[in-house]
Amino acid sequence: MNENRSRNHLTDAELFGLAIPAVGSPEALPSHLSDCLACSRSLHEWKGAVRDVADDMGPLGDRTSEAWTGAQDQTMRAIRRTRFARPALPLRWGVGVAAALLLFALALPLQRPTAPATPSGPSASAPDLSTQDQADDALLRDVARLASAEETGGSWSTLVPEPGTANGEEERL
Amino acid sequence: MNRRTNARAAIRFFVLAAAVAGVALPMLSEQDFPEGKWWKRPRLAAEINLSPEQSREIEKIFVNSRTRLIDLKADLEKKQLALQSSMEDRGADRRTVEKEIETLENARAELQKARALMVLDMKQVLKPDQWDHLLQLQQEMRERRLMAREGRQNYRQGGPFRRTPNR
Repeated sequence: MNENRSRNHLTDAELFGLAIPAVGSPEALPSHLSDCLACSRSLHEWKGAVRDVADDMGPLGDRTSEAWTGAQDQTMRAIRRTRFARPALPLRWGVGVAAALLLFALALPLQRPTAPATPSGPSASAPDLSTQDQADDALLRDVARLASAEETGGSWSTLVPEPGTANGEEERL
Repeated sequence: MNRRTNARAAIRFFVLAAAVAGVALPMLSEQDFPEGKWWKRPRLAAEINLSPEQSREIEKIFVNSRTRLIDLKADLEKKQLALQSSMEDRGADRRTVEKEIETLENARAELQKARALMVLDMKQVLKPDQWDHLLQLQQEMRERRLMAREGRQNYRQGGPFRRTPNR
């Protein structure tokens, strides 16, 4: 029986009762608290929250019914804050994981290889030629240039030195 | 008797061939056939209504001439280099240079002939109006290029707004 009790943690209601004991009755601490570090820590937090609220509210004798209602609400809010403070770490982790997933999703299209915009091959309507066609194109242009002796740098006639000078280069210089 | 007739026929054939080559080759080069692989340019092909069959046929003609064109081009370039080094050599023998010029021009003629015959075969594939249109497009392109070149020269000489002085 005791074993079962030590395994089952104290509920919020039990912790609340321990943190704000009834007036006049001594604070009875269950033996579970001495065994369970988590429950003892929770009780400590509850007590801290109650103390904070009490500090904010001022002397008890001056309170009106609205002040009591306000204090009650404030206490409940403090309790809720305490209760939700526990999953704060997992929540932070969750936000981090979500951010990482979002970044991954955004970066994914950049990693994907871009598909060719137009099909390649002889029937393609794209203006760019294939590597072989480019080489052939260059060959035909060179042949046309050489065959018609249009080139200026390689033609033998341009190599004849200028009359009156030893070298054509000297004339230019 | 038969031998003499054959010799005459052969001479006649060579004279005729030389005449045809002498007239046809300059004509083809003057017309300045479109450069490069024009049949692979989609816009040009569409402009002259080139069918896929014609394109394939022209490609085949080019492929058949390609190896010879590569060889002749390399030969011409080698001869150009040889002549260039002779011309740069002050002590070069006049006879040697003369021979090199001859061989260079012969190589050029060979290349020109190979190109002209290839163009001639390509021309056979096209319909007359396609051929005319192709030459017309080439002419337009050449004029545009010339105008652009003149514009650049004018700009270099005195800027785009330079005017010739009034006399």
